[in-house]
Amino acid sequence: MKLHYYPGCTLKDKTTGLDISTREAMKRLDVELVEPDGWTCCGAEYPLTGEKIAGLAAPIRVLRQVRDEGGDIVVTTCSFCYSVLKRSNKALRDDPVKRKRINAFLRDDIQIDPLTKERTTGFADYNGEVQVLHLLEYLRDRVGFPRVRERIKRDLGMLPVAAYYGCRLLRPKEEMGFDEPDSPHLFEEFLEAVGCAAVDYPFKQECCGSYLAVSMPDAATEASYRVLRSAKMNGARAITVTCPLCFYNLDHRQETIKTAYLDFAGLPVLFFTQLLAWALGVDKALLGLGDHKVPADALFVERPAPEVRT
Amino acid sequence: MRVKLKSGPDQRKFIERIEELSGENVFACYQCGRCSAGCPMASEMDLLPNQIIRMVQMGLDEEVLRSKTLYLCASCFTCESRCPKGIDMARVMEAVRHVLDPKGQDAFGPCELTPELARELPQQVLVSVFRKFAK
Amino acid sequence: MTAKTPKTPKKPKDKRIGLFVCHCGVNIASVVDVEKVAEALKDYPGVSVSTDYVYMCSDPGQQMIIDTIKEKHLDGIIVAACSPTLHEKTFQEAAKLAGLNPYQIEIANIREQDSWVHSDKEKATKKAIRIVKSHVEKAIQNEDLAPITVDVNRRALVIGGGVSGLQAALDIADHGYEVILVEKAPSIGGKMIQLSETFPTLDCSQCILTPKMVEVSRHPRIKLLTYHEVDSISGFVGNFKVKIRKKPRYVDETLCNLCGECEKVCPQIVPDEFNMGLSFRKAIYMPFPQAIPGTYTLDAEHCLGLSPVRCGKCKDVCEKKAIDYDMKETILEEEVGAVVVATGYDLYTMQALGEYGGEKYEDVVNGLEFERILSASGPTGGEVLRPSDGKVPKSVVFVQCCGSRDTEHHLPYCSKICCMYTAKHAMLYKHRVPDGQATVFYIDVRTGGKAFDEFYQRAVEEDKVLYVRGKVSKIFKEDGKLIVWGVDTLTGKKLEVEADMVVLAMAMVKADGIEDLLRKLKIATDIHGFVAEAHPKLRPVESLNAGFFLAGCAHGPKDIPEAVAQASAAAAKVGDLFAQAELVHEPTVVPVNDELCSGCGICVTMCPYGARTLDPDKGVVVVNEILCEGCGACAAACPSGAAQQRNQTDGQIFSMLRAMLRE
Repeated sequence: MKLHYYPGCTLKDKTTGLDISTREAMKRLDVELVEPDGWTCCGAEYPLTGEKIAGLAAPIRVLRQVRDEGGDIVVTTCSFCYSVLKRSNKALRDDPVKRKRINAFLRDDIQIDPLTKERTTGFADYNGEVQVLHLLEYLRDRVGFPRVRERIKRDLGMLPVAAYYGCRLLRPKEEMGFDEPDSPHLFEEFLEAVGCAAVDYPFKQECCGSYLAVSMPDAATEASYRVLRSAKMNGARAITVTCPLCFYNLDHRQETIKTAYLDFAGLPVLFFTQLLAWALGVDKALLGLGDHKVPADALFVERPAPEVRT
Repeated sequence: MRVKLKSGPDQRKFIERIEELSGENVFACYQCGRCSAGCPMASEMDLLPNQIIRMVQMGLDEEVLRSKTLYLCASCFTCESRCPKGIDMARVMEAVRHVLDPKGQDAFGPCELTPELARELPQQVLVSVFRKFAK
Repeated sequence: MTAKTPKTPKKPKDKRIGLFVCHCGVNIASVVDVEKVAEALKDYPGVSVSTDYVYMCSDPGQQMIIDTIKEKHLDGIIVAACSPTLHEKTFQEAAKLAGLNPYQIEIANIREQDSWVHSDKEKATKKAIRIVKSHVEKAIQNEDLAPITVDVNRRALVIGGGVSGLQAALDIADHGYEVILVEKAPSIGGKMIQLSETFPTLDCSQCILTPKMVEVSRHPRIKLLTYHEVDSISGFVGNFKVKIRKKPRYVDETLCNLCGECEKVCPQIVPDEFNMGLSFRKAIYMPFPQAIPGTYTLDAEHCLGLSPVRCGKCKDVCEKKAIDYDMKETILEEEVGAVVVATGYDLYTMQALGEYGGEKYEDVVNGLEFERILSASGPTGGEVLRPSDGKVPKSVVFVQCCGSRDTEHHLPYCSKICCMYTAKHAMLYKHRVPDGQATVFYIDVRTGGKAFDEFYQRAVEEDKVLYVRGKVSKIFKEDGKLIVWGVDTLTGKKLEVEADMVVLAMAMVKADGIEDLLRKLKIATDIHGFVAEAHPKLRPVESLNAGFFLAGCAHGPKDIPEAVAQASAAAAKVGDLFAQAELVHEPTVVPVNDELCSGCGICVTMCPYGARTLDPDKGVVVVNEILCEGCGACAAACPSGAAQQRNQTDGQIFSMLRAMLRE
């Protein structure tokens, strides 16, 4: 079956590993991920002040495109995209004034096909018809973890992995509704479904530093260090993320972290879809492990799964 | 330095603007400090998040203007998720930035990046940090 | 039930009604032209006298009414003033003094219904005139009524054997009345018996409570029923019938001599609820040494099987042959006149606070658990030792406001006692571990009672407890130590504290599962499940449901001095009830006109008080006038007009409407 999928800009360029492993993994679950035609950046930040309505235009445009292609669900893995799309969708559904203004704005939208140069305009109003889901939710609710277990080809050997939620998946609770911000367990359920041992540690929802890695790098270094240290202290051999920015802060900046905090020896950072893809039998070359600054290859050991248990 | 506490039209305008932009009732805050206690960046800040909203309650816009706290907020929403009065402190931070710095002192803009860093950074970081802190 | 019916009503004739319009200072007069109202009604049919006065409820105002009634031989009066909820009784009493039947008084509300909600003077005055005219029409058809009377059963039921229940039972019994005290646990004592020391005196809790417990058990007029639960209740004030379920103890309390041999041989180990799960007991157990009644109880839920085939060890070693596996549940029926609800409280669950670890960390405990640790008869013999490894904690953090004062996620109210008991906990900890560090995280410190603030200052100044103003955001474990993330809002610094143990001041909430009982009793609760008082300021110990009184934390968070005061107050109210020769009930009820009633039974289903029943033999509905509260739902629903409320008949209502809408 085909499913609408919004990768977001970073996945296509800087963290291709997350994109490729996602597609390959979903193929093994008989789901073909289809990107909305001519999609553009979601905006990365949901506008927090009431007046910046223009900030809603970009994400709504994406959702409108999904709707026009006949989709009623769009799945994403990047936490930033998930947060913006979901919150914008809700804002539009709840507030008729915002709905009217964004639709008025988008009515003048012109889409130009990159190949044929054909122009499309005069789109119908978007009224919140599409539902935004994170891939983890999709796996739990639409596919079901038991079905994932059935398709497992490789045994991950109860690898102790720390699930890192970060900020945007869980907060604000009323809008994201993903799980309880202070005692979440969806990500851990996923890890157990693919054959890892989920490590419990207190920093699973603490901020990694986010965009401050650029504007206030020392603050971000410390924040990321605390997350990695906590995961490692509680026995994790890897930490798994769903956000490319968390990946950047925890993986790419790990050298900086090690220099600032000499007691930290290092911890590989993985995308959750890389684990999923590997467990479902996808080739190592397709996991995108080349993107990683902290080598993670050693974690991916060939070990066939025991007989399928339902 | 003695702060003259006034509650005239200028202060009222400032407070109302913050409330309008953020959608939060700043007077619901009873200064428990939980936002500051859980904020991952609080130890770097000169004014704590609860102090920022306290300044707003008192109409002391000039005090807040000088603070570098506003540019240390990572919008992680930990404050929002723990506030016993349901105040979204991240929204108040954004509103204060918006009101006090509409032209943007360009706390962080493209000039601050080296070409190498710009090449390496994930796009979402650039978009986010510019949207939050640039003009 | 012996309800006496009123005398035959007077026939309506040309009435001589007196109208008295009140200014209420400027409350009414600033919007309604009161003189104009009096003037407009002067010649209205039925009205003999029409006048105004500045404050009708004052002594001269009332005297004026009394004098006018006598001089002008009035047989009905209308006071156009404030809401009847305030002064209806006042004017009824005044009328009685003048020799007029109190049910010939009408209160026309031209304040809450007129001057207080309108600003247009002309329109408000016209409205007042309409209101008053409608009441004149009603008054013309009013009949003399006499209150309904019923006997009172001078026995009380007290539900709950904590300090409030014990106090109420003792006071009522000392008055000279019989009391039945029902307690669902195997012993009386409630939560207070679990406490170590009480603020602000640091009295040993068990030392001050056990004398009351003993007094209750020995009192000639108190029937103590422990391990019993109220099953159902029916009837009405002064005349309740209660069914009480006796749970089988499997031990005959009259034979048990507390030798303890059964406990020694019992193989089953159960977390001890008296010690908040910090230690274990056997399936056959005594909750605590001073338990009353002094007997063992066999907990069937954890017993291997209540039969010699499964185990039978306890029975084998019992010299007194007190153990009987064949005991069954029985139901007793009692009749009482008043009920005191003193069912206590529970603490908000730590599971709700995921940011503090939920219930994950052994060394993060709640107030009652810490009381047991502090208690000399507790699991650590009174030494402060932490649950996980029994070590002495050198750094203890106390967190106030856990779950309370949180409008967003938990409970909006202040739990009242936590500031005081936290100060007490910190002090007692410092007394026992002088080189330890006690840190209290607070938002405010509320110390309103007598000697309370001095107590808290003692903790700060003498025992060097560090008070930090800031609400804790997160508690977690790292490297074997508990880390507390807080803030000091006063210095503006974010803080991280390493603690060996944390005590959470969890909010007081309604007793677990109490809704079932309160539903059976049919008494109103507030939105948090606490029993609702009749009026928050003026009637704090009665329920809106006649005959039910409340005491202690069943009503809301409070400390021991308040609970005891409330219990004594409730007992005094019960005394008021019992002191009356007979109970009087408002006669403005809805009787049934047998001739018109077709026995359709619609009114029976409408009645919220269960006052109406269909008599199968007569084929008509009968009313228990004592239960009828005069709400009028049946009168509205009755298709044949057989249900007419006294002094508010359909005819009267239609006359009122016509007067209001005319012209």
